[in-house]
Amino acid sequence: MSGRIGEIIQVSTTRILAQNDDLSVLPHFGSFIKTRSQGMTIYGLVFNVYETSIDPNRRAMAFGIERDELLRRQPQIAEFLKVEFEAAVIGFDDAGYIRAYLPPFPPRIHSFVYPCNSREVIDLTEDLEFIRSVNALPGLPVEELAAASIRLAYAERGNDSAFLTRAGQEIAQLLKDEYEKARSIIRRISDGR
Amino acid sequence: MAGKTKHIGSIIAGSLLGGLEAKLDEDINVEGVSVGRLIVVDGALNKFFCLLKDVSLEATNEDILLNPPRDDFSKMVHAGVNTFYKLSLQPMLITSQEPEAGDRPRPSTTVPPHFSPVCEATADDISLIFGEPGLTNPEIGSPIFMEVPVCLNLERFCKRSNAVFGKSGSGKSVLARMILGHLVKSDMAINLIFDMHGEYGWSATSEGSGADDPSLRQILGSKVAIFTVDADSPLYRKIRPDYDVQIPYGIIEIADLELAAGELGLTQAGIETMYRLHDAWGESKWLAKFLAMDAGELSLVVEELKVNDQALGKLHRCLSRLKRLPFIRKEVADDTVARIMNEIRAGRHIVFQFGRYNSMLSYILVANILTRRLHRLYVDKTDSARAEGIEGPKPLVVTIEEAHKFLDPAVARQTIFGTIAREMRKYNMVLLLIDQRPSGIDDEILSQVGTRIIGELGDERDINAVLTGLPGQGTLKVLINNLEPRQFLLTGFAPPMPVVIDAKEYGLFCNELRVGAGVIVDEIERRKSIDSLKASVFGDDEIVFD
Repeated sequence: MSGRIGEIIQVSTTRILAQNDDLSVLPHFGSFIKTRSQGMTIYGLVFNVYETSIDPNRRAMAFGIERDELLRRQPQIAEFLKVEFEAAVIGFDDAGYIRAYLPPFPPRIHSFVYPCNSREVIDLTEDLEFIRSVNALPGLPVEELAAASIRLAYAERGNDSAFLTRAGQEIAQLLKDEYEKARSIIRRISDGR
Repeated sequence: MAGKTKHIGSIIAGSLLGGLEAKLDEDINVEGVSVGRLIVVDGALNKFFCLLKDVSLEATNEDILLNPPRDDFSKMVHAGVNTFYKLSLQPMLITSQEPEAGDRPRPSTTVPPHFSPVCEATADDISLIFGEPGLTNPEIGSPIFMEVPVCLNLERFCKRSNAVFGKSGSGKSVLARMILGHLVKSDMAINLIFDMHGEYGWSATSEGSGADDPSLRQILGSKVAIFTVDADSPLYRKIRPDYDVQIPYGIIEIADLELAAGELGLTQAGIETMYRLHDAWGESKWLAKFLAMDAGELSLVVEELKVNDQALGKLHRCLSRLKRLPFIRKEVADDTVARIMNEIRAGRHIVFQFGRYNSMLSYILVANILTRRLHRLYVDKTDSARAEGIEGPKPLVVTIEEAHKFLDPAVARQTIFGTIAREMRKYNMVLLLIDQRPSGIDDEILSQVGTRIIGELGDERDINAVLTGLPGQGTLKVLINNLEPRQFLLTGFAPPMPVVIDAKEYGLFCNELRVGAGVIVDEIERRKSIDSLKASVFGDDEIVFD
């Protein structure tokens, strides 16, 4: 695997917290990531990204200078900052098949995190069952997340409008008891056409 | 397999009583699914033939109705999930998925399982239900939106009194002409047609083109005899009628005059006076004698019979209208009913025309007088045939237009037509009623009508009337409400299940009948080309293949 973007620093069955290697690149909201642990590839969906001070007791201060200029003048500041992101666990690889449900165990801390390639994104979004698991997790911006991930999968498929229609129908089906939620997701994905 | 099965939905609910409910597939356009279609549900063991009786819009979620999706994309993705279309189906017939030879569809007594596929009926399904076209099972149309023949089983058709209903312009006369043509051709029964408007004899004006369509005589030639009360009518320039009918006063009964009471202006007092005259002067003589009297003689009658002079005067004035009908005479050369019986025995079919005397009065009088006497003859012949154990007279179908005039609740119990309709086929005589005002017909008679062919009807009362005595009236009512001109609902005794048809093109019917049903298309085409060749050489005069 190549193109490492981070390292896991905290896990649970449903969520991964990872620290970014590179301050200059932030993982995209709604993008698909993977990690390999105990012989199994586990997939996640990035739902929260934050940049913070490395010392929990010291907050970053405002300098009144543009970020690029500040980092050029005082490069040591970068050493005191870190980027972390949270991802929801949405599936795993089982003997070559991607399963869109929770793996038997979470990845281990200090496993590396990589972005998913195009093939994996397409396989993971073949059906949109993962949105059901995401919807079940508390505290997630489900509407934004579902819309962002569908838009990404749509782009990976070369803007295939048949996929977008199918995705919309699945959203309507998955969230048929939550019409308002389905409606707002569908509105967001139809804007991307 | 002729015609590919098109899957349009799946069964989601239903009962045998209330009908089945199916969810329409998302990829089917609801606007292409219209009421009256024949639908097939593929159960596990059986095929269910159903009638589409309603289409409705449904939503799984109240919220979507309150905040409807606005853009096309949203409407599209919600379709089939939050919104869907529901088809209401009435199961009618059932047949095994793997029918054995000779298996006929039978009435449905159960329902298919959940999610059974729902398909449009194919040509094979239609021919399984209505049979293949043939001489005694002629094609009379095709189901709406389909190009498959729907056939009418003439054998069953002739076993009951039947009716063709529809408002004027609905195409009922043309359809009736086609059915009569097939009846004549097949010789399943002898036809006696009381042709009030001159449509069943030589030629009939087509409503569509305004041109003359060939009628039964042209198409079927000498199998059809034309009887008329007006032999001098310009109608008969091209063809002479076979028989010029005259009716003697002697055979007119009071019951005949009572039936025409409205047309003659008779009052109850007048009718009672007639009975007095009848009793005093004898059954066959009173009318001729009474009409020959002048005012002086009438006053003698008042004294002699102790009748009210005003009532007698009014009666005389009313009955004098009969004198204006030249075919009613004191003396006649020979007996029309005997003539008709001879023709019937010879296997010829009779069209009875009225020429210029096509008033309701002459129509009612003639039809009633002749049918009553024919019926009497038929009853005698049938009874004596039964006693001797031989075959009775040939079955007779009497066709009457404006049937409500004969079968009005006030008179239906007395007229011969009411009797024939009620006794069904006991004496080998049945009726074919052609009417635009079925609500004027007695309920008891309507419920005895076997096969009903119902065209467009405007009045709610007429629609209720035509459905008298039929099961599943709610469904049928919807179908009747949606009929267009030349579309008919076929229901009742002869068709295995109700079906809405587009009536067959009259031109096709003519071509088919001239060369015989079931003949290959090439033959029809060959004849047509000869036809046009002859027409170009000899002009458009009569060319009959027989």
